Order: sequence, then structure tokens, then C-alpha cells
Amino acid sequence: MSRTGANRRRLVFGTGVIVLAVLLPLYAGEYTVTTFTRIIYFGFLALSVGMLVGQAGMVSLTQTAFFGLSGYVIGLLGTERGMPFPLRDLIAIGAVLITALVFGLIAMRTHQIVFLMITLAFGQICWAFAQQNTSLLHGWAGIRGIRPPTILGVNFGRTSNFYWAALFIIAIGIYTLRRLIHSPFGLALNGIRENPRRMSALGYPVYWIRVASFLVAALYAGVGGILAAYSTGIVTPTTMQLSRTIWVLLTVILGGASYFWGPIVGTIIAVWLDVLISQGTARYNTVIGFIFLMTVLFLPGGVLSIAEFFRDRANNPLLDRIFRLKSGEKNK
Amino acid sequence: MYTKFLILILNGLTQAAIFFVLGSGLTLAFGLMRVMNLSHGAFYLLGGYIGYSVVHATHNWPLALVAGSLSIALLGFLFERTMLVRVRGGDLPETLLTIALSMIIADVSLAIWGGHPLTLNLPAYLNPPIRILGITYPGFRFILMGLSVLIAFSLWLILYRTKLGASVRAGVDDRETASALGVNVDKIYSFVFALSALLVGVAGVLGGSYLQLSPGSDTTILTYSLVIIILGGMGSLLGTVVSSLILGQLLSFGLAYAPQYSYFLIFVPMGVVLAIRPQGLFGRQV
Amino acid sequence: MRSLIKKLSVSLAASLVILTNVQAADDQLKVGFISAFTGVFSSFGQQQKEGAVLALEEANYTVAGKKVDVVYEDDQLDNEQAVTKAKKLVVQDKIDILTGLVSGDEGLSVGDYMKDKNIPVIPMYSASEDMTMRAFYPMIVRATWTGAQSMDVFGYWLAKVKGWKKIYAIGQDYSYPYNQGGGFKRGFFRGGGTEVTTVWHPVGTTSDFSSIIASIPTDQSYNAVLYNGSGGDAVNFVKQYVELGMLKKIPLIGQSNTFEKPDVESMPEDVVGSLSPHHTADDLATPAWTKFKNAYQKRWGHDPSAASEFAYSSMRLILRAIEARKGDVSDKAALVTAMTHVDMSDDPRGPVSLDPQFHSAIENVYIREVAKDDKGQLYNKGLWTVKNVGQFGPYDPQLYLKQPSDSGSYPPDQRSALPPDMLQAGSEYQYVPFGQ
Repeated sequence: MSRTGANRRRLVFGTGVIVLAVLLPLYAGEYTVTTFTRIIYFGFLALSVGMLVGQAGMVSLTQTAFFGLSGYVIGLLGTERGMPFPLRDLIAIGAVLITALVFGLIAMRTHQIVFLMITLAFGQICWAFAQQNTSLLHGWAGIRGIRPPTILGVNFGRTSNFYWAALFIIAIGIYTLRRLIHSPFGLALNGIRENPRRMSALGYPVYWIRVASFLVAALYAGVGGILAAYSTGIVTPTTMQLSRTIWVLLTVILGGASYFWGPIVGTIIAVWLDVLISQGTARYNTVIGFIFLMTVLFLPGGVLSIAEFFRDRANNPLLDRIFRLKSGEKNK
Repeated sequence: MYTKFLILILNGLTQAAIFFVLGSGLTLAFGLMRVMNLSHGAFYLLGGYIGYSVVHATHNWPLALVAGSLSIALLGFLFERTMLVRVRGGDLPETLLTIALSMIIADVSLAIWGGHPLTLNLPAYLNPPIRILGITYPGFRFILMGLSVLIAFSLWLILYRTKLGASVRAGVDDRETASALGVNVDKIYSFVFALSALLVGVAGVLGGSYLQLSPGSDTTILTYSLVIIILGGMGSLLGTVVSSLILGQLLSFGLAYAPQYSYFLIFVPMGVVLAIRPQGLFGRQV
Repeated sequence: MRSLIKKLSVSLAASLVILTNVQAADDQLKVGFISAFTGVFSSFGQQQKEGAVLALEEANYTVAGKKVDVVYEDDQLDNEQAVTKAKKLVVQDKIDILTGLVSGDEGLSVGDYMKDKNIPVIPMYSASEDMTMRAFYPMIVRATWTGAQSMDVFGYWLAKVKGWKKIYAIGQDYSYPYNQGGGFKRGFFRGGGTEVTTVWHPVGTTSDFSSIIASIPTDQSYNAVLYNGSGGDAVNFVKQYVELGMLKKIPLIGQSNTFEKPDVESMPEDVVGSLSPHHTADDLATPAWTKFKNAYQKRWGHDPSAASEFAYSSMRLILRAIEARKGDVSDKAALVTAMTHVDMSDDPRGPVSLDPQFHSAIENVYIREVAKDDKGQLYNKGLWTVKNVGQFGPYDPQLYLKQPSDSGSYPPDQRSALPPDMLQAGSEYQYVPFGQ
């Protein structure tokens, strides 16, 4: 198999996927389109968590707070005070970045399990505040009636239009993240994951690189939150609750935390599991719990590691090409 | 005014008692095994439910306490032996396993015991109204405080006065060295994890008796447990005592003076401590 | 071929959709049922389902020769999930009617999404009055209740008949207790009460209420403490209220759900005599209630509650309306009109009719007290009946709608701060001894 042939094949498949994704509203039912929109906004959240876990080796349980925060800003400014697009969206992003900066400056002084705990604490504080503040955030009820804008006569309230917009945004997001990971910044981040002391000795500003990566991750979560608020029309404290945080983490693990596409693949599987299982059985959580149990026990590298398994086993050049999905080093 | 204060302080102590039972096992398991057991809340709920079924069938509350706690200890032991042991050493996989287990326990409990709130009926001899310093206070709450002190004392005895405890402490301090010195770390791990489960089973039966059990109790309890051990310092028994006392009073006074923000309030000291001293009040640098 | 996996997933997902997306056949009707089957309110969700299933089984899942297919979706009492599930039911299952809905906020959220879908929405236990008032649209038919409906009757009675002046109210901080508390305050102030001191606490996360209870001033002549909450919180609160000896100092009263079955069975016996209002009473002796109660016990092995009765009644309303339309559900507006004309005079909880303008229920309110039956079980015993109470109670609808929605801070705690015209009523309640 020649290299050019493989490249051509890759090009054909890549183009095929893009065409399939873009044309989705034309051949699939409205519910499928809605579900893929859901995959896109949760995909942003998963990319956020996955980047921190996979590239930087930091397990953060705070990303859903940024996801919820941007939604709340949209609801508060847009729906309740009539602020127009895109001002409210920019302010939402700004709010997420400022919060992430303040929090990152504190959290990045810690490592590993303490980092996990401090991010858990921060996420819980945000959730508890949203849950209990009734004067501004309406407590448990949240803010409802959020609608996507109409831009240049295009009504993004329509399922298909909104899907295309979301698809376009996540395409930019994925492309940018990929570039970022292969940039000197991304390589430095990998280096810090493997050995922070050495990176520090080599003169890298380890602390600031970690803070910066946290800001990038928060940005992705924030964008996902805006899309989610527009798509569901409502933002509530449950957006930020612990079970959601855990769900996203499990999703990333399910796909494969150390692979670039892991978070996306995990989200696709998890969202569809959600859809299929919830109508098949009342014991939905038992099934999901069992699946995750099995994944952690028998497939710790996630679904994408199955591909690697075949590649290693057969040492087949074709499979080698097809399944070269990994972007970073495997996170052992 | 005076009586109100007295009641608030007693309430805070009651809360602290249950907080300590919740936190002590979790913090020990963490200190030794570096396992963040996120199924702690689900263990609590299940222990309480099992206790409920026993009380319902036999009207024997002490038996319920024994049954509830022992069955959770057994569950914890089996879980550690069959699953946790397979992913030992990986922070993340261990944590994720406990999450998955908690989802299953909570859902199965819902299927068995249903969604409406249940409480364990206390026999009258365990809950006499006690008149003290001009107020009437439920007797069971004093029993709760006494039990908690007793548990703290027993844990101290086990840890500092037995050979087993010495091994546990050696393991907490330095796993590799302890192992090299011939301590059977595997055995110690199982023991501590089962002990931790036993304690949370006790907490479940106690909590189910003076409060109620229903779906959702598990996440609330898990959150409380995490706050307690993070504030106190993970792995520190003394830290758990201190943070239980602080949080108990904070919750009690918070409910009296700012009920709307009472739940939010308990996160504040944790946030402050984490920002200044990430390892918690009495925790060692990790 | 980086995206091969993604592509595979896409096509797999797409094929799964095709597999699951079974179109409703012509001889089939689809009813979507959203409720909380897991999470904090799963008890209410379960009771709703049991009530609805009973009605469906009595009809043998058939109406006007068509098969009724009910799609149940669990929203875990998460408003965002509720909207997502509603979307799924509408877009994928192509439901003809949406029902279920257990909490106030859940109802309002789903209501907001369903606004432009042209599908009838039949809320069962969700009681926020705005759904059939300020946020009403013609596709909503709520043949059950609003939060304020029973509480206005109750508050007025306590002030006017019992002569109470001051109440200390402790409630769960969300929309349904706001509405119940709102109704209570309006009725209580109109009847001559002067003050309802209100304290809110977060839902589901407060386990130990003893500090809130210890803060109740015992020396300021409060006539009663109203616990404005339900579920696990209510069981905790009542238990601790009794244990701290407060019941001997100030009587305890409840909102409609506080002492409902089955929760009341987990409460201490001391609460016997505690008052609360609802649209059902456990000892109703009418043939319709007895028949329903027996059938329910036979099917599910325990007693019905208001939540299960409301679900039974709503499901019967749906079935009867479809029957009246001879199985034709294509014209949704006509279907809704048929619903508002269904004869519900034989409803288990007493005669029910629908307000033609806002599609809300006009029905009996019962004032009840907790009592103990001969098996030692606690239940709610009827004391007084007020017939034909609508969602606006005795007020002029125009005046009522001009007031702000009930919230944590409205209506005010003092009688003097309430708009004076709200203290006048167009009609007065007739309190009839229960059972007459």
C-alpha cells in the first residue's frame, strides 16, 4: 500500500464524513438532527475535559460550571434584559474567561488528586449558588425561554439552521484545538504532563502554561454552554451538577482520554446510549453504570484503544494507516 | 435567646457526630489507598435501607444497626477484592469505578425500596425526650453523639494501639517502604476499605433513624462527606474531627440565620482553606 | 482516515434511528408521558404512572377502536432534561398528546417549549398557576389544580372560622411552594389574618431542620407553624418538629402535599390532628372514590394518593375526549374543545368541570386532618368541603391576573402590604361539613 494511496483514501473518507455531517438535515429526521446538535454541545464540553485530562494530565471536575455559567449569562442578559446578539455571547465568553483565570490562578498551584478535589469544590460552589440564589438566577427553576438569534434574516431557531451553525463552530473548534496541540504550546503541555520538574528546569513557565491551558479548556466549555442554552431554551442548576460533571468525565474515558478524537467519539456513543437506553428500560442508570464499570475494568484506554489493539495485534500496514488516530502520547 | 443558642449548639454537635462517622472512614481509605471513594453516599443510602428492612421485619433497632453496617462492610470488601484491586494505583480508574458502582447501587435501591422517603422507627427507649438546662432535646441525638465519640476512640485505639493499626499508619506514611518492610499491603487495603464501608453503613442506619432516606440522599451525603474530608485534610482523623465540628455548627447556625443559603455556606470554609492551604487543615502536603 | 470512527458512529447512529423511529400507524394513538421516575420526586412520578396505567388498563389501552401507545420518559426532575425529552417525544415519537409533569417548574419549562407545537399538553400534578394563567395558551388543559386553589380556601378558613391571626411559614424554595404559600396568604389575609412570616430553605439538601425549628419564636403568639413543603423534606421536618417538643407549643399545619400518602405513613403518630387542604381526602365515601380506591389497591397493593388520582382522572379525560372525537386526533383544536366538554361529574375526587377560558379545573376543596385508622396507619380525614372552587377562587380574574406571579417575596408577609382590592372577594366560600 503506497503512501499516496493511503492519503487519498484518507481524503476520501474525511470528505465523506464531512459531506454526511453537513447534509444530515437533508436525509435524517429532525430528532436525529437535534441529537447531533446535542452531541455537538456536549462534544465541546468533552473536548474541554478531554484536553485537560489527555494533553495536560489534569482531571478537572469544574468544566460544567463554565458550561453553565455561559448559559446563565445568555439567559440573564439576552432573554431577561434583551441584550442583542452577539454582544451577550461575547460577554458570556468574557465572563467564563475571567472566572477561569481567577480560579485557574488558585487551582494550578495544586496537582493530581488535590487538583481534582479543588476543582470539584469549585464546581460544587457554583452549582450550590445557582441552586440557592432565587433573586437573580431563580434557583431551581433556572431561566427559560432562551431563543437562538436571527442573523441576517436566517432564523437559527430552526433545527436545521442551528445544527449547521453548531457544526460550523465545532469544526473551527476542532481544527483550532488540533493546531494548538501540535504547536509548541501543546508540546510543552505534554512535557509538563510527563515531567513538570524537568520542564521547569528547562526554563518553561510551567505554572502559566497550565493556567493558559485551563483558560483554553474553559473557553471550549463556555462555547458549548452557549450552544446548549440556545438549543434547549433553558438553563438550570442541573446543568452544573455533579452527576453531569461525572457523566462528561466518563464520556471522555469511554471514548479514550488520550486520543484526540476520544472525547468526540465518547460523546457520540454516550448521547446515543442515553437516547436508546432511556426508552428501552426504566433501569437506565444501572445499565449505564454497568457499561462504565466494564469500560474501566476491561477497556481502560476507551473505545478507540480497540483500534490500537487490532493494530498491535495484526501489525497490518493498512490497519496501521486507518487507525492512526492518536495525537498525543498515551497517558500511562 | 439562651435556649435557642443552646439548641443550635446541640444541633451542631448532632450534625458533627454524623459528619464524623461519615468522614472518618472515607478519610482513612483515602489516606492509605489514595482512593476517592465516590460511592460513599450510595453506601450510606444502601446501609440505611437495609437497616430499614430489618427494623420493618423484626422491630429490633440494634439488630438493624448491625445488619446495615455489616452488609455494607461486606459489600465494600467484595468490591475492593474483585474490582478495585484490578486497577490499583491509577487515581482516575479507581475513582471512576466507585462512581459507576454508586450509579448502580442508587438505581437498584430505587427499584427495591421505591422513591418515597423512609425512616427507621426508633424504639421509645432509644429516643426519650431529655430535659437538660431548661430545654427538651431528643435522647437519640445524645446517643448519636456518644456513639460518635466511641467510634472516634475505637479508631484511635485500633490505629495507635494495635499491630494492625501500626501497619495501616506505616502504609499511610509511605506505601513503598511499608511494603518493603514486609507489611502485607493488600491485606491492609482490604481491611481499611471494609472498615470505611462499615462506618458509612453505621452512618446510614443512624442517619436513616434521625433523618429520612430517599433517592437523592446519596448525592447530598457524598457532597457533605467530601467537604468534611477536604476541609479537615485528607487522611487525617484529627482533621475530620475538627472539620466535622466546624461544619456542624456552621450548618446549624446557617439554617437558623440564613436558611436560603445554608447549603451554599458549607462550601465557603472549604473554598477559603483550599485557596490558602490546599492540603486542608490537618492534611500533609501531597 | 482519522474520522473513520466518527463516520462509523454516524452511520450506526443513523441506522439506529431508522430502527427505532417507528411511525404511528393509523389505528394507533401516541401519548407522551414525562415525569420524574428517578431522583428526589420519584415517589410522585411513580404514583402518577400508577394512576395513569390504571385508567389505561380499564380502557384496555383502546379508545374508539384505536390502540393507545404511551411513551414514558424520565426527566429526573431536571427541567433541562424535561425539555429534551419533550423534544424527543414531539420530533421522534410524533405524539398526539403530551401528559405527565409532576413539578411546577417542570411544567412551566415543558409548557414553554410546547407553545408553538400545536399538541395538547395535559399537566397532571404540576401546579404552578401560571400555566393556566399568565403563561396560558389554548393547547393546555389542566383538569387538576393550581397551587393556590386549595390553599386560599384553607387560609381563609383558618382566619375567618378559627380566628387565627399570625402564622409562621417554612417552605421549600421553588415555584410550587411559592404558589401554595401565595394562595394561603391571600386567603388568610382576606379572612382577617394579619401576618404570615415566611422562611425559605433549599429543596432536598437540608437534612436537619432542627435549627430552623429552634428559630421559631415561641413567645410571639403565632397560631400555627405552616410547613410549606413535601416529600423527604416534609418527613424530616415533621419528625424533628415533634422530637423537639414544638408540637406541644405551636400547632403544625401543612400545605397540600405535606401530609399526603404515602409520606404521612413515615411520620410520628403525634401529628394526628394536623390540618391541610387538598382536592382529595382518604376517607371519601362516595361510590366513585370507593370504586377507584378498591381498583387501585387491587392493582398496586397500596392506597391511592392525590397524585395518583389526578393522573387517573387526567388520563380518563384524554380517553373520553378522543372517544368523543371518534378517534380523530388530527384536529388538535377540536380535540382540546372536546376535552373541555368532557363530563367529569363522576370523577373519584368529586365532580370536576373545566373553565372554558383557561382550561383549568373547577372542583371540590377538602380541609382535612391527619387521623389514625384502626390498623394504626395515618391518613387524611375530611372535615369540611367547599364545592366548585376555580383557580381564581373568589376573586375577579382580571384583578387576579394583574397581580405579580407568586414568588419567594410576593405576596408580602403583612396583610397591610397586600393591595386592598385583593382583600375583597366577589363571592364567599361555603364550608359544608365533609360527607354532606
